[in-house]
Amino acid sequence: MVLKYIVSRLAMFIVTIFVASTIIFFLPRMTGQNPLEEKFYQEAQRGGYLEDVDEIVAAFEAQYGFDKPLWQQYFTFMVNLTRFDLGRSIFSWPKTVNQLLAETVMWTLALSLLTAFIAFGVGTIMGALMEWKRNNTFLMVSFFPFMIWAAVPYFIFGLVLLTVFSFAWPILPGYGGYQTGVVGWPNWAEWDFLVSVLKHGTLPALSIILVSLAGWAMGMRGMMVTTKGEDYMLLAEAKGLPGRVQFYRYAIRNSTLPQLTGLALQLGLIVSGLLLVEVVFAYPGVGGMLMSAIRISDHAIIQGTVFVLAFGTASATLIIDMIYPFIDPRIRYGAA
Amino acid sequence: MQDTTHPDRSITPVGTEETTFSERAATVYRERVIPPLRYLRRNTLMVFGLCILGGLTLLVLMSYLFYRQEDLYGEIQGVNGLSSALSVPARVKPNWNPFGEFPLGTDEQGRDILAHLTVGTPLTLRIGLIAAAIGIGVGMVLAFVAAYAGGWVDAVIRVLVDSLIPIPGLVILIIIATSLTPGTGLTVDQLAVAIAVLSWPGPARVIRSQVLVMRERGYVQMARMSGTGSLGIIFKEMMPNLAPYILASYVGAVTGAILATIGIETLGLGDIDAPTLGAMLYWIIELGALLKGQWWWLLSPTIVIVLLFVGLFMISAGLDEVANPRLRRRV
Repeated sequence: MVLKYIVSRLAMFIVTIFVASTIIFFLPRMTGQNPLEEKFYQEAQRGGYLEDVDEIVAAFEAQYGFDKPLWQQYFTFMVNLTRFDLGRSIFSWPKTVNQLLAETVMWTLALSLLTAFIAFGVGTIMGALMEWKRNNTFLMVSFFPFMIWAAVPYFIFGLVLLTVFSFAWPILPGYGGYQTGVVGWPNWAEWDFLVSVLKHGTLPALSIILVSLAGWAMGMRGMMVTTKGEDYMLLAEAKGLPGRVQFYRYAIRNSTLPQLTGLALQLGLIVSGLLLVEVVFAYPGVGGMLMSAIRISDHAIIQGTVFVLAFGTASATLIIDMIYPFIDPRIRYGAA
Repeated sequence: MQDTTHPDRSITPVGTEETTFSERAATVYRERVIPPLRYLRRNTLMVFGLCILGGLTLLVLMSYLFYRQEDLYGEIQGVNGLSSALSVPARVKPNWNPFGEFPLGTDEQGRDILAHLTVGTPLTLRIGLIAAAIGIGVGMVLAFVAAYAGGWVDAVIRVLVDSLIPIPGLVILIIIATSLTPGTGLTVDQLAVAIAVLSWPGPARVIRSQVLVMRERGYVQMARMSGTGSLGIIFKEMMPNLAPYILASYVGAVTGAILATIGIETLGLGDIDAPTLGAMLYWIIELGALLKGQWWWLLSPTIVIVLLFVGLFMISAGLDEVANPRLRRRV
């Protein structure tokens, strides 16, 4: 049973990646534009001479394999993807997309994992407490701002934070990932650099954490309403279990599963929101790189980045699906 | 005559000859208007949400009265076809703060911000409403087909839906925008269609599971045994009971679609010259309005966007309560 569940879930993952990469391959090629030709004609015009451009374009097209038939290109593309080879950038030739991604992906990964764990953990417990301790004034009062926060997109909230804490009352930097203009940076061994990274990360992280924390809290509060009315809660109380055990072992554990399902379903939205936050704060992550690639229409980078984002989201969903049964023993592998 | 005075006839069925118009109206009012209102009094979230969206609509309508028609939508002028609307650049003096002659100030490119919002808010809402309607329609059809056909059809649809959900919608939109219209960005209508194409998997999944549950309910079995066809069951038995779910997914889809348009436009991949809310944010970020201290340029669209999302969120939370009575507050 376990094996069957894992295999079917992995098959699903492969289908997701396949669909995503097929979209990424065919959409840009459907329109018949030629980014290489565009680039070199631009360069040639800038340089003021138009000699041999066609030959250069042809040579580069051969490099990218654009001269081969479409099905062969598709095949090569897919085979390369299985080796995680995303090709070379058009504008930063001959850097590979992987090299460029390596510079940015850690920033995004750190930001997203940190914010996701903090927001999900704190939000879930706060939401549960909101329903559990109904006479606590602080929790009751925090309901209303949470309701509003939960609805606002990350990057809009980010813009508000930016206005308040970076311009109106300038205590935190709102641009970039670390202080630029210092010779020799980034240098991870230096204390000042780490402090500057933390300072720069505070506003982007806060704009994601506060909004998604509120979202998880609202969701959890709704689940707790149902859980509180269940018979096993009554039994736990009748058995005279201490309040803490009732809360963590009985209430939270039983209401967390739908939260986790929600996390799996919303990962796509979270990643989309993260990209926009990075753009607003000019954070040196994948979102910022994607944005600059869009500006210069470097299709190799756009496609590579989009693939990595789809891959990352799908993997995270896979991981969440795999850990369900550890959290909730009612779930049997394969039963779904 | 006797009948109308009889106490049992105090609730007269609509359509009988003895009733006058006012009586019929009273009956409709008593049976169709009062119960939902009474329900709304308990569902405060929904009321809040409706009030916020209603207030926003009222503000937009009021500012419509504030302007002349040609100031809002413009008319084609001169040889280069420049529109004279106040919501296009270079029409009014740039960088006026709200304390001057313009109620919300003007932006750096010489747009009247109030005019921009008056045209832009309905435009952005329209993208959301259209895209979500198409998305829900497609999702609903697929959900019913999957639930009813079963077998491999169901399997194919389910695999497709489940495999599309983890892909972040925004990045696919980015691919669509950068490859279909390189350099210029999607127009408002193209954007609506592109978002619609991406917004059906979520609703399809929710509705399919509801249909599967509902198909086994007693009243549906009953209808089937009394010879009602599949279409009859779908439209007469299931649709009325699915309505809260469909409405809730619709509101959710509208929220998602508006989020997607604003996001993609903020990245500069929409029509950056169209007076939408997202294009406004694009210019605010692109021209560094905050660095130059033009806070009023950011303030008003942010308030509008926040109100829009909060209103939609509250309505969807309220609808959740209608759809899942288990969630209703126990006092």
